[in-house]
Amino acid sequence: MRKILIAIFLSLALACPAFAELNVAATLPWIGSLAMEIGKDKITVATLVKPNQDPHIIEARPGMILAGRKAGIIMYNGLDLEIGYLPLILESARNPKIMPGAPGNFDCSRFVKVLEKNTAVDRSMGDVHPLGNPHYHFSPANVLLVAEGMSNALAALDRPNEGFYMENLRNFTERLKERQKKWSAISLKGKKFVAYHKLFEYLASGFGFQITNYVEQKPGIPPSAAHIEGLIEDMKANKPDGILTTAFYGKKEAESISSKTGIKVIVLPADVGSEKGTGDWFAFMDQVLAIVNASVDYHPQ
Amino acid sequence: MRLSPIFHANPVNSCHLEKTMKRIVSTVCLLALCSLAATAFGQDEGMPSSAGGFFGGSFLTNPNLSLILNTFAYTSNLKNDELGTRAIPGFTTQGTERQKGFNIDAAELVIFAPVDPYFNLYTNIPITDNAISLEEAFVVTTSLPEGFQLKGGKFKSNFSRLDAQHPHAWDFADIALPYRAFLGGEGLGGEKGIQATWLPAFPIYAQFGAEALQGENDLMFGGNARSGPRAFSFFAKSSVETADDSTLYFGPSVLFGRTRNANVTDGAEFSGNSALYVMEAVWKWKPSKQQGFILQGEYLYLAQNGNLTDNINANVDSLKRRQDGFYAQGIYQSGRWRFGARYDMLEAFADSFRRSGAQQDSGNAPWRTTGTVEFNPSEFSRIRLQYSNDRSGRDGKENNEWFMQFIFGIGAHAAHSF
Repeated sequence: MRKILIAIFLSLALACPAFAELNVAATLPWIGSLAMEIGKDKITVATLVKPNQDPHIIEARPGMILAGRKAGIIMYNGLDLEIGYLPLILESARNPKIMPGAPGNFDCSRFVKVLEKNTAVDRSMGDVHPLGNPHYHFSPANVLLVAEGMSNALAALDRPNEGFYMENLRNFTERLKERQKKWSAISLKGKKFVAYHKLFEYLASGFGFQITNYVEQKPGIPPSAAHIEGLIEDMKANKPDGILTTAFYGKKEAESISSKTGIKVIVLPADVGSEKGTGDWFAFMDQVLAIVNASVDYHPQ
Repeated sequence: MRLSPIFHANPVNSCHLEKTMKRIVSTVCLLALCSLAATAFGQDEGMPSSAGGFFGGSFLTNPNLSLILNTFAYTSNLKNDELGTRAIPGFTTQGTERQKGFNIDAAELVIFAPVDPYFNLYTNIPITDNAISLEEAFVVTTSLPEGFQLKGGKFKSNFSRLDAQHPHAWDFADIALPYRAFLGGEGLGGEKGIQATWLPAFPIYAQFGAEALQGENDLMFGGNARSGPRAFSFFAKSSVETADDSTLYFGPSVLFGRTRNANVTDGAEFSGNSALYVMEAVWKWKPSKQQGFILQGEYLYLAQNGNLTDNINANVDSLKRRQDGFYAQGIYQSGRWRFGARYDMLEAFADSFRRSGAQQDSGNAPWRTTGTVEFNPSEFSRIRLQYSNDRSGRDGKENNEWFMQFIFGIGAHAAHSF
């Protein structure tokens, strides 16, 4: 019996290919995609959260823990976005390489200019993030800062390929600068939107539009009927350019408000890969801006 | 009053100097306290964009604190004294502690933080009406190589599923019937001991664990056996992702050891060996924030051999038990609502209870059905209505129970395991 068990263990252990590449565990799709831009074939990326999942409510599935166990580096959004599952993954993965303080623990938000840092919050205000708004993947300037930090982190763990990572970062930066020229032609200045959740603050700040109201009165708490009524009155009076939301978070509620106000719903991809044609971060941003821009262009005014 | 060892090491230790030094030291202490308070409350100034830390957003000076209030109103067609003595004949002589009317299960105080780069420390202190107990206080290693982890102190065993969860994390107001029958209303509960687990880097998730425990559970081991550790466990847990949005988690385990207690039958003390074999399985489907389904079941099988000594005439009978039980439950979530159903049964396949070789007939196999409706205003509050039709008393009487349960949590609470 014991011999059989040992044989099973050995065969399983040998079945795991000894990858020469660096194993990267990325919590969110955009982080995994960004890591692929920098690491290309020198790394293997396991993305823990699927593109169509709401990153706020993920549970630490055993598969995620296993990915953490095998990782040489774990990359995460930070600002407490993953607070419901990341600590559990870190502890359960039993992998000292990815513990806080180790070079394999990469918090992307460390490199970011954070919006909406709240000094005094408590949970009566809903699911607020006291460290700041965590949805900075809509911000080209911040994503570039993360890419730089990520390149250095990969290089630190894999010195022989440092040149390769830095070359890929230069390419990424070049491509981003070219896109920014294209994106800067999009004029959203002075436009006003209502948003379902506080997802688009970085987009607003980067592209000069305003988010004047929210369907969710308190983040993460479904809105009350009274709040919706007030919001509808407010929207009828102020005529915003649209209601921003994503496919999995508040689309139904936004559509119901739209039918009562005539203000159109603008459904944006939530993350890289969440909609068709958003295979990498550039395609994702292209689609986000194209949708916002198109909806504004065709707005009957 | 000793202020600091340095002060007492000073050879020129005149009374006057001592007073001055005391004043200086107390001033310094006061200043240090003030600055500590300032860092605790005014930490936002000049903080980096991420406070970081193992559990995120925490401050170095304070552990993470939370309090979970678990309270319920209860009613039944039976009288309070009937409930208190309503045992499961052939399994346990213990009744339930619930009273008709208002009940407080506990206010659980949870304190945890990393100790240093090598250990995390967790404590769970349930405060009830008239007692404070230490349910858990343990450290977990965080930096052992090759997927190994050690846990030591007092902790809830991982040998089965419901046992590893705190009551506030259960999907029903009370524990499943086989647990009550073999381990008591709270399950095995916190046990002093050590645990070693191993998560190898296999292609699929597989975790292996072993525990040595003091074995103080009244029903399974009994606190009055002579020497510890009396209980040991082995378990394995595995998991596969059945789809992008669904996961299967399952594993066998065994808990065994020396038993000496007086809860098996009335008027006699049992002394012998017990082994409880468990198979757990849970399947979770979570396609979106708005929708989810959890199917969960466990099968428990008890093998117990030993002697029953009569309390009055000290007659000794042999006792051989081979009994089992299972529960199956489903929870469907839609938005902030959850709907649950559970069926539990004892002596499904094994019902052997032999006293001096003679099978004892305690009556029909005990079973129970339960339904729940929950409203969860947020992830920190839960309101649950539960109805059970309980036929575990084996006396022909039904117990129709209603629970109205309220669970609230404040503070930083570590995430629950899958």
